[in-house]
Amino acid sequence: MSSSDQNSQASDLPTNQQTPVDADNKSTTHFGYKTIDKDDKISMVAGVFHSVAKQYDVMNDLMSFGIHRLWKRFTIDASGVRPGNKVLDLAGGTGDLTAKFSQLVGREGQVVLADINSSMLNVGRDKLRDKGLVQNIEYVQANAEYLPFEENTFDIVTIAFGLRNVTDKDKALRSIYSVLKPGGRLLVLEFSKPEHELLTKAYDFYSFNILPKMGELVAKDGESYQYLAESIRMHPDQETLKSMMDNAGFELTSFKNLTGGVVALHKGYKF
Amino acid sequence: MQAFSNKAVTQQNSLLSPQFKGGLLLPQVVTATLELIINKALALNHNKAISFVTLSQKTLTLVLDELSFELSFTVNTASSPATVIVRSQTDTSDCTIKTSINTLKKLKANQSLTQLIKQDELDVNGDIKIAQQFANIAQSLAIDWQSELARHLGDVPTHKLLQFGNKITKSLATTVKQVEADISEYLVHEKRLVVTSSQITAFKVQTKEISREVIAVSARIDKLFASLADK
Repeated sequence: MSSSDQNSQASDLPTNQQTPVDADNKSTTHFGYKTIDKDDKISMVAGVFHSVAKQYDVMNDLMSFGIHRLWKRFTIDASGVRPGNKVLDLAGGTGDLTAKFSQLVGREGQVVLADINSSMLNVGRDKLRDKGLVQNIEYVQANAEYLPFEENTFDIVTIAFGLRNVTDKDKALRSIYSVLKPGGRLLVLEFSKPEHELLTKAYDFYSFNILPKMGELVAKDGESYQYLAESIRMHPDQETLKSMMDNAGFELTSFKNLTGGVVALHKGYKF
Repeated sequence: MQAFSNKAVTQQNSLLSPQFKGGLLLPQVVTATLELIINKALALNHNKAISFVTLSQKTLTLVLDELSFELSFTVNTASSPATVIVRSQTDTSDCTIKTSINTLKKLKANQSLTQLIKQDELDVNGDIKIAQQFANIAQSLAIDWQSELARHLGDVPTHKLLQFGNKITKSLATTVKQVEADISEYLVHEKRLVVTSSQITAFKVQTKEISREVIAVSARIDKLFASLADK
């Protein structure tokens, strides 16, 4: 794709408030800007993450200029985690949140790092073991739509930069609701819709012109990072995601925009 | 099963909002920096007598007047060496201290904790022993900066660097003293904007002398009026 094509694409982006007619069809969903068969999404997303798993942390630092660490720290602060808690770090990838939660819940607590992608899970497991974090962490390969846990199991469930890759987000939210204990809370950290027009333009330029090139250079995979930029635009905006959480049964739902809305933290409780 | 009441959760939400206002992540920048410094210091510590066992999973929270967010320090002994996690908010704290940075400086200068609490400069909630143990550990840390530097730079460069540092420090101190002297010379003698301490002392002595004389004159006048009244 030429640079001019990319620019025109950035200015005429499908936004996270627009839903193509195809998406209403129950058998199709989005994969970036493409409308695909629902059954194909899992394997296509898996392909992306198998490809980037080993360079995932480096790319995160590069792409966000290290700010992703502050977003994750914010999530930990907002989680209200305490010693003895049982935490599910869903789509936990390379385990940044798990590492912190593991230290905060202590020996009496437990953290489950779950990811649908085996490559990401392996990278996460190696990283956490290298840090000496072994005693209260379990690793589970799981689909967020069909969580393999008993009802009322967790005090906290987090899903950081993972929900937009899930095929059926409503089903995933209902599944999360089910495994939360009464009084438990869900925290969704995800890319969202910038609050200011100028920031949106700068962000679009960065996402569609610089990000794929960075991906090509560092992870040798520009297409996956093109998908990343597209999937962010197709993800529900702040209010829509909040409504989806309400519909799944969560109460006292709220969200907080971070870095001008580039990222938002949604929080909801189960009572 | 751990159950939360609606009220407790609502309170938690109300506590969350002002702290995270703006989403500029300043609290997270501060806590990340503090965490890095503290854990680096713990890793470099040579005093093996320090033990974190009794502080495992304990949290000390500092609420400083100067900061719009709190600082919570939680000890994690699962890893070796033990680490401290710093957060800008926590629901549970074993000891919470509300104070200001100035009061913390007084504590460092060994002013009595009880005295500061009595003066309402320090408000402690929870187990005070937790705070004392944190303070003891901070004071017991022994870091050999010269050795640490030598490990990275080598012995000779480290020695030269420290020598250079000392020279710079001495030179800076001399320069500062010289600048101070020049400024006072300019203000006192050239511009006559301020007076010297000896002039102030002389002024005080003269004032006291005049005051004594006024009192004596006043007494004499009173005596004179009294004698006139008798006549």
